[in-house]
Amino acid sequence: MSERRRIGVIVRGSLTEGLEMRLDEGESVEDVRAGKFVVIEGEKSAFFCMITDVRLDATNPAILVDPPAAQDDEADALMRQVLSGTSTYGTVMLKPMLMLPGKDDTRAGSEGSGRAADRGVSGEAARPSGGLGGALPSTTQIVKTVPRHFSIVAEATEADVNLVFGSEEQDRRYYHIGRPLDMETPVCLDLDRFVERSNGIFGRTGTGKTFLTRLILSGLVKSGKASALVFDMHSEYGWGARREGDHAEAKGLRQLFGASRVAVFSLDPESSRRRGVSPDVEVKIPYDRIDVEDILPLADELNLNPTAADSLYLVQAQYGSEWLERLLGMGAEEVRDLARDLGAHAESFAAVHRKLSRLKRLDFLVPRAPDDAVDRIMEALDRRQHVVLEFGTRTDLLVYMLVANILTREIRERYVRKTETYLATKRPQDRPHPLVITIEEAHKFLNPQAARQTIFGTIARELRKYFVSLLVVDQRPSGIDDEILSQLGTRVTALLSDEKDIAAVLTGVSNAQWLRSVLASLDTRQQALLMGHAVPMPVVIRTRDYDAAFYRAMGAEDEEPSRGSRGARAIDDLFGSR
Amino acid sequence: MNGEIGEVIGSSNTEFIAQAHLLYESPAFGAFVRVDGRDETVYGVVFAAYTHSLEPNRLAVAYHRSELELRAEQPQIFELLKTKFEAVIVGYKGKDVVRAQLPTKPPRIHAFVYPLQALEVKRVTADLGFLRLLLAGARAPGRAPADELIAAALRQALEAHGGDRGFLVRAGKELARLLKDDYETLSSVLRRVRS
Repeated sequence: MSERRRIGVIVRGSLTEGLEMRLDEGESVEDVRAGKFVVIEGEKSAFFCMITDVRLDATNPAILVDPPAAQDDEADALMRQVLSGTSTYGTVMLKPMLMLPGKDDTRAGSEGSGRAADRGVSGEAARPSGGLGGALPSTTQIVKTVPRHFSIVAEATEADVNLVFGSEEQDRRYYHIGRPLDMETPVCLDLDRFVERSNGIFGRTGTGKTFLTRLILSGLVKSGKASALVFDMHSEYGWGARREGDHAEAKGLRQLFGASRVAVFSLDPESSRRRGVSPDVEVKIPYDRIDVEDILPLADELNLNPTAADSLYLVQAQYGSEWLERLLGMGAEEVRDLARDLGAHAESFAAVHRKLSRLKRLDFLVPRAPDDAVDRIMEALDRRQHVVLEFGTRTDLLVYMLVANILTREIRERYVRKTETYLATKRPQDRPHPLVITIEEAHKFLNPQAARQTIFGTIARELRKYFVSLLVVDQRPSGIDDEILSQLGTRVTALLSDEKDIAAVLTGVSNAQWLRSVLASLDTRQQALLMGHAVPMPVVIRTRDYDAAFYRAMGAEDEEPSRGSRGARAIDDLFGSR
Repeated sequence: MNGEIGEVIGSSNTEFIAQAHLLYESPAFGAFVRVDGRDETVYGVVFAAYTHSLEPNRLAVAYHRSELELRAEQPQIFELLKTKFEAVIVGYKGKDVVRAQLPTKPPRIHAFVYPLQALEVKRVTADLGFLRLLLAGARAPGRAPADELIAAALRQALEAHGGDRGFLVRAGKELARLLKDDYETLSSVLRRVRS
C-alpha cells in the first residue's frame, strides 16, 4: 500500500462538513474528478475518502481581477505556469467514508495488542452483522475523527479498494458488480448482507435497470445465497432479451445457468413459443386461489369504488373460497337477487359485478387447475431452483399485479409456516432458504395506498423475518411509500432526473446533499450509484459488462443455440457477413 | 589588478558600498559581485551606482565644454570625481558551501570587489532563497523600483542557467510565494525578465 501516488495535503476541514485538500503543484485539477477515491495517510489510521467537489482558489484577489489570460502571449503563458500551484491552486473537498488501519497497524494487529483488540470491537459495532470471513469488518471503521493537518492525500490503490469493498477471491459472499469510475478494481456487493433486507433498483427509463437487475440476479443465482422469484413483466430475465443500443442478444438467466437451476414459468406459453423457447410450466390459477385482498389493490385498474370492498367481503362470506367463480358465473338477474339477499345496493353491486367480469377474459384464470402454480413454484424453490415467471404478451398492469399478488401471498404464507416449523424444531435443515422476490413497476404495488393493502407492503416492512425479501425495480421511486423506501437495505440507482425521485431514493440517508449531485450527474448508460446495507459506503460504479467474459465468469454452459451462433459466425468469417 | 572593479568603503550585515576603480566603471545595475574575505566570500547584487565630486555637499561645476575638450584642457577635475556603487548581500560562501543567507560578518573595508562569472552566478542562484534577501534589499525605502532590480538580477541568473525555462518557472513560483500580496510586482518582474 506504500506505492500510493501523492496528490495533495489536507489543509482544513471538519468531521461533519468534510475535509479540504490543497492540490499539489503539478497535479492537474482536471485529473481530479468527483467520485474518485483517495486515501489520506493520517498519523494513526488511513482515511478512505471520496472526492465530492473541486474548487479553484487564489491567494490574492488581484490576480482574478487582472488574469494572465492571453493565449498566445509568452509572458502570460509564463505567468500562468508560475501562478499555478502557488498563487492559484485547486482545492478539493473530500468526504471521509471509512477509516482503514494505518501504516503501522498491521504489525499491532498480529501481536494482538490492546489497541488492535479495541479496533476489532468497534469495527464489529460499525458493521453489526458482519461475518468473520472477510478482513473487512474488523479492519474498517466508521469515521469518528479527522486526520491531522497536512496529512498526505494519495490516490487509492487497488489494494485499498479491495480492502473496503472486498473481492471475489477473498470470499464467496462478494460479487463483482462493477468498477469505480476511474479505476479497474472491482467493486463488490456483499451478497450475504444484500439478501438480509429488501432492496431497490431505480433509474429512469432506458438507464439500464433491467440490465442491473439481471446482473444482480445472476449474482444471486451464482452464489446460491438465496432463491430468486422473478415476476418478469416483459419477459427479459428468463431467456435472452435484446440489448438496447446494439441489438445483440443478452443471455437470460436460463441460458446462463441452465434448466437445473433456473425454471421458467409462463403465463402466456404462446408468446414463449413464438420467441422459440418453451417454458417449463404453464401457469394456470384457479379461481379459488383468489382472495378479496388480491382484488382490492386492483381497484385503480378495475375502476372499483371504495365501497366495493364491503360488497366483495359479503360475497366471500356467503360462498367461501368459491366466491369469485360463483360471482362471475352469475347473470344479471342472479346478481340482483344476491344483492337483495346481502342487503347491498343493487346498482352498485351490479357495477362491481360488471367490472370484475374483466377477469373472465383472462385465460390463465380457470375454475379448476389440473396443476397448481403455487405448488409448482414452491417445489422448484424447494429444489433450490430459481423461478422466472414470464408474462409474455400479458403486459398489462392488471394482470401483472393480480398474479404477482396472488402468488406472492400464497408463497409467503408457506414461508411463514416453514419459518414457524423451523423456530419450533431449530433444526438447521428446516431453516427456509431465503427467497428474493423481484417485482417491476413497484410503485403500483407500493404506493402509499397500496402498500397497506398488498402483500408486498407487508413483506417490505417485516424485513426478512420470514426469509422473504423484495427486489423492487422501478423508475418512479417517488411513487413508493416513504416507510417502505426507508426499509430498503441496498439501493442501486441509475440516473434519475426528477427531483422528487432523487429525494425519494435518498429517503433515510443522512447527509444526502452530496449524493444528490452525484445522482443527477450519472451517465445514462452503465453507471449506477450503490448505497446501503450491502456496500460499506456509497459508491458510483461503471457496471460490469454483460458479455462473453461475464458469461464465462458465471460458469455458463455452452448450449445448443450458442453453438449454433458460433457456427454462423464461422460462416460469416468465411464468406463475409450478409 | 586581478580583475577587481572596486573596493569596499562601507559595509553592514545586509549591504555594502564600494568605490569603483575607474570613474564611471561601476558594475551594471542588478549585476552579481563578490567580496573575498578571510573566512567567507560575500555575494551581492548591485542596486545603485552614482558619480559625484570628492567633497560631500558640493556639486561639480558646469564648464560648457565637451568631455574630450575638458580632458585635454583640465584633466585634474576628473581626479576630483569618483564613482561609487552599492550592493545588497544575497549570500555567502563559507567552507565551499554557498548559502543564500546573510554572512556572519559584514565585508571588510578596503576589501576588493570582483564581478561574478556565469558559473559562479549559477552556483549562487541555485538556491532560490537569494530572492528573499534581494527582495528585502530592493524594498527598503528610497531605492529604485523593486521590480526593476529583481528583473535585472533574474535576467542574469537566467542567462547563467542557460536560459532554462524550468529555472525561470521555479524562480517565478518562489517570487509568487514571496509576493503573494503584491501581484503587480510579480507580474511586472516576469514581464521584464522575458523582454
